Amino acid sequence: MDYGRTDLADRLAASYAAGTLRGPARRRFEVLLPAHPALRAATREWQERLMPLTAALPSEAPPARVWQRIEARLDGTVATAPVPRVPLGSRLAFWRGLAGFASIAALSLAVLLASPASVQPPILVVLSSTAPGAGAVAPASFVASISGDGRALVTRPLIQVGVQPDKALELWAIPRGGAAPRSLGVISSSGATVVLRGQVLEGAEALAVSLEPPGGSPTGAPTGPVLYAGKLTL
Amino acid sequence: MKRPAVPTPAAEWNERSVDLARLLGRAGLGDRAAFATLYERTGPHLFAVVLRINRDRAQAEDILQEVYVNVWRAAKGFDAAQSQPLTWLTSIARNRAIDSLRRNQTRPQIQGSGAFDGAADGEDDSVYDTVADSAPGPLDLLSQASDARELASCMEHLSAQQRQSLALAFYQGLSHAEVAEQMRQPLGSVKSWVRRALLSLKDCLQRAVQRDQSAVRST
Repeated sequence: MDYGRTDLADRLAASYAAGTLRGPARRRFEVLLPAHPALRAATREWQERLMPLTAALPSEAPPARVWQRIEARLDGTVATAPVPRVPLGSRLAFWRGLAGFASIAALSLAVLLASPASVQPPILVVLSSTAPGAGAVAPASFVASISGDGRALVTRPLIQVGVQPDKALELWAIPRGGAAPRSLGVISSSGATVVLRGQVLEGAEALAVSLEPPGGSPTGAPTGPVLYAGKLTL
Repeated sequence: MKRPAVPTPAAEWNERSVDLARLLGRAGLGDRAAFATLYERTGPHLFAVVLRINRDRAQAEDILQEVYVNVWRAAKGFDAAQSQPLTWLTSIARNRAIDSLRRNQTRPQIQGSGAFDGAADGEDDSVYDTVADSAPGPLDLLSQASDARELASCMEHLSAQQRQSLALAFYQGLSHAEVAEQMRQPLGSVKSWVRRALLSLKDCLQRAVQRDQSAVRST
């Protein structure tokens, strides 16, 4: 489908903002968002249009414990949902369970980051900007969390990245010994992206993010500058 | 139609957003006190938004907690030029709430053909279990949201079915299929009502903005 078509983008964005876009279609939309400027613009417009409707809702004061928990999470002193230390097999199931739901994965990742003491299995790779102040993208960094078995990977920007509307970010596994980078797909500059590939880590010594045309590199190799990179320390 | 340039809902929403944008900006710099104030001012609204969609209070609390932890982390990247703070916050909360539905399926739902005759005797009353009786229904909400605002005249252009289907989908987070079951109408009709309601609102709000702009120019 051509998501650049404005009427289609508008239609999808309207359903997304209204909440009627559901299930796999909703997830697909969220995955497509970062790479499709027309979708992003249309989504923003629809959100601005519809969210004021919520002003009519009578406020509901949340119980005090909610704020206490938020503060605890920010302080990193309380692991609200510690990552279970379980055998590899169950861990795999844990990650597979997450795979369908990027946002849940993102939340788990937030928990991981908030409670370093509990981090055992998933491998965290921090991708730092290789060119601070580069014109196309604000200096920022990503974190990639890789399941212990190396089959699932979740990327998440640590701060919001402003990618030019006609560009996308693509994630690459850089193998040891100078072999060609392997594409792991286009990732979101604003939210979590789940990458499910067989053995993303096999033979890789680093992860890198390059700037590509929407939809990713047309050639299968990075065509744009590498903006972020991080070494795997296993 | 001649009319004074009354504030559009967007304008009022924006006004409220000015303060929030400042708080969000300071939170982005690591100011916890500003973040606490932001939570005080917006928490009750977002909690209401989440509770409408996921009526399980314990889950709604968890969702709200997740929303604010993520807001704290993302505040640095918030761009007030791109998005109104309240719109941004509300969108995050709505998305999380909708995600929670697809994740846990615990939502009491009207399923199968029994739903149609169960409506009167409590089978799908469970949908409203945790909503206080005095809580305004989705349609009341739509009319309140549009109270004395541009949106009011836009809402008038919608058919009753369009209004009801949009209200159920938007406030309660119901899917097209769920709205169809609630309204006991064919799925296809519901889809087209929601779609036409959205398009009609879009056109109407755009005309309102244009009217406001020309009113500003003529003064």
